[in-house]
Amino acid sequence: MEITLNYPFWDVGIGYGVLMAIFAVTHVFVSHFAIGGGLYLVVAETAARRKNDTERLNFLQQLSKFFVLVTVVFGALTGVSIWFVIGLLNPAGTEVLIHNFVWGWAIEWTFFIIELCAAILYFYGWQKISARNHLTIGWIYFIAAWLSLFIINGIVTFMLTPGKWIETGNFWDSFFNPTFWSSLVLRTGICLMLAGLYALLVASRYKASDFKRRLVRYNAVWGIVGLVITMLSFLWYVGAIPDTIMTAAIDKMPTPILSIRAMYVYSGGIATFLILFGLILPRAYHTVIGIGVMILGLAWFGSFEWFRESVRKPYVIYGYMYANGIDIAHADLYQRDGYLPHMAFRTGDDGADLFRRSCRSCHTMSGYHPLRPIFDGTDKEFIAGMIKGVHVAKGNMPQFLGTEGEVRILAAYLYNKVDHRHLSKIYSLSGAALGRKVYDIRCGPCHIFGGFNDKSASLIGLNDQEYNDMLNIADDLGEEMPAFTGDEVERKALIEYLTSLSKGGTP
Amino acid sequence: MNLPDYNFLPAPLWVITVLHLVTLMLHFAAMNFLVGGVIVILFGKFKNRWNDPTAQKFIKLFPIAMMATITLGIAPLLFLQLVYPRQAYAAAIVSGWFWLLIVVVAIIVYYFLYAASFSQDSSRRWIALYLSVALVGFVYISYVYSSTFSLAERPDLVKLIYTHTQSGFTLNPDVGSYILRWLHMILGAITVGGFFVGLLGMNNPQAYNVGKQFFLNGMIVTMLVGLGYLFTLDEILLSFMRSPAVWFLMVSIAMSLGALRFFFTRRFAVSGIMLLVSLLGMVTIRHYVRLLHLEGVYDPAAYAIKPQWSVFALFLNCFVIAIVAVWYMLRLNHHSIDAAHDRLES
Repeated sequence: MEITLNYPFWDVGIGYGVLMAIFAVTHVFVSHFAIGGGLYLVVAETAARRKNDTERLNFLQQLSKFFVLVTVVFGALTGVSIWFVIGLLNPAGTEVLIHNFVWGWAIEWTFFIIELCAAILYFYGWQKISARNHLTIGWIYFIAAWLSLFIINGIVTFMLTPGKWIETGNFWDSFFNPTFWSSLVLRTGICLMLAGLYALLVASRYKASDFKRRLVRYNAVWGIVGLVITMLSFLWYVGAIPDTIMTAAIDKMPTPILSIRAMYVYSGGIATFLILFGLILPRAYHTVIGIGVMILGLAWFGSFEWFRESVRKPYVIYGYMYANGIDIAHADLYQRDGYLPHMAFRTGDDGADLFRRSCRSCHTMSGYHPLRPIFDGTDKEFIAGMIKGVHVAKGNMPQFLGTEGEVRILAAYLYNKVDHRHLSKIYSLSGAALGRKVYDIRCGPCHIFGGFNDKSASLIGLNDQEYNDMLNIADDLGEEMPAFTGDEVERKALIEYLTSLSKGGTP
Repeated sequence: MNLPDYNFLPAPLWVITVLHLVTLMLHFAAMNFLVGGVIVILFGKFKNRWNDPTAQKFIKLFPIAMMATITLGIAPLLFLQLVYPRQAYAAAIVSGWFWLLIVVVAIIVYYFLYAASFSQDSSRRWIALYLSVALVGFVYISYVYSSTFSLAERPDLVKLIYTHTQSGFTLNPDVGSYILRWLHMILGAITVGGFFVGLLGMNNPQAYNVGKQFFLNGMIVTMLVGLGYLFTLDEILLSFMRSPAVWFLMVSIAMSLGALRFFFTRRFAVSGIMLLVSLLGMVTIRHYVRLLHLEGVYDPAAYAIKPQWSVFALFLNCFVIAIVAVWYMLRLNHHSIDAAHDRLES
């Protein structure tokens, strides 16, 4: 049997999403500063040298030390950490990327060499190198750093919008994909914004003075200009994402909208602080404010990455590979033989192997995106039905492509991990309240009143007999609909709840 | 479903292998400067250790050497992942926590090296502590690397480990198969570190002598340990002796001895080049050992080749541009420093 699922699974207690976010968000927050900060340094140095502004030059020298310690050390190594972590969390996805983009990464590496050499020479060169040569090195740094963004932007955007590559397999189709240019401008804006925020943090340590006023205002302008470019180009970026992708994401999950809202809130926060303490009260730009604005900037970036990741669900490479590393190209194979015969690494516990391969990338049993609350008090049949129809449920999840037998094995595995008491006991509920819980658990994953796949029009206003009839034929109502397998107590409570809705009860 | 296949190499295997080996050699050269340098500076018989100009020079250079080690380590890791992703990732996954911790340790080490580098006269006493912490970090990183990459050559063992535990808390349990490999790498670093101390201290008799001692003694011990490692190859030893690797071994030994000879006659350029060729030989031997371990299980030559020549050409151009840009910046740096000296003298 051909082995297509080539990797073991790192069954770490922490959610993969959290682990990835820790490394990725920290890295991008520094790496974008590494680019914008490079531009800031040379532009500010040019102006300072023209005006023979020694105070400003001293500040820039201090900033460049901070810059090197943050970007060359922390930025570079957290960049490497992303390699390490994606290889652990999604080796199959990483393998796809590396085979398609190895020369892209190799090109980025050449820019990285220039960038790091230039950063070191620039930092150590303040007292040693002539002004002209120092600035030349500064410009070389910035150009190399921005070009490395140019390259990595092509790879990152490919994962969300692979564009024509899906048909052609051509490198250039994958690189210059539908969101490439908008993302490049967006990320350039972020670089400028972060240059301002980091420079403000360093400036915040200065005592209130005329110089601090000038400095803080100057830095705030960088932050504001960057923020404006970022938010405008974000609209372009969102518009460049194909409708099919956006619609699928927004229909099935609140996350994209929530993350956009968060971005707007954080943008408003950053803008308020920059205008108030950056432009109007620059002398009062205290370190606490500087740290606060940095936290807002980090939160903004986290929200943006959250948006990008949520829109891309359920894929790691859109339309090509699911987030759990299952490649669509082998869908027929898995549907015919199941996952197990195609796994290179098995533990002897098939249920656990199927759980890890299918669910564990995004779910734990009780921690991150837990499954226990979803399945507590239910039964194997219901769990099996949920597995089979998981791709039509809310949350934008990948289809389970395994065989019927594997569905049963996985359902049994999950059933053994959940609370087997009756729902009424687990939640201490009865009557309509219990019925609501039954609805949330058994119907809610796919039908939300007033929300995702709303069925209130056909559900509200029936009589007890009609509800009973409907529950009896639930599995005939749709291909992915599971049978109603709750007991009589659950059935009665559910009908009581649904009946209460037609009498003005709240869903 | 008719989707693009990713099971291909975007250039002929030999191109990728050459790039992998050359960049790995450069990575090892930088790493040897760094790790070997730290060990020699910490344990070499210097009088007034922290005031010795060569030691000071090294301490200033350590953060830059760390930067070079990391930067030059990215490319070989990239090419390794391209050709051996299934072996490398699988081994990394079963050692997941140890593997991931490498980055955290490297960040700490980097900052300690900067702390040593920024130390002023008044805080020199801390340098020993900073460098010792860095050394502990190097030991950790190098050991986990040895464990992981030796495990990558044993897919059967990875599978066995995975059936018992999936939490990523396992290093390669067959310590005997790689402990000498790891030791050989550390001792090799000390040897090359001795060369660099002698090179940078060529006009400083004390530093030159310290470097010479480490270079000579390090090489003897490294060769003995390397020989010992060969005997741990067990079932592939015979194949190894019949493979081209054995010729690379001969050349590497000859080059190492030649490097030693020219170091003693103070012809550092020739000695350095021979040392570099010897390093290239060593990484090539590592490559052959990997192939022999994986023989019958995995053959990288089985990959389909779908060259991306246009991107590859762009990479080569960028690589040349990078070399020119670095050379140009170093020139700007030196010209400016020379001009400053001239101004001071006049």
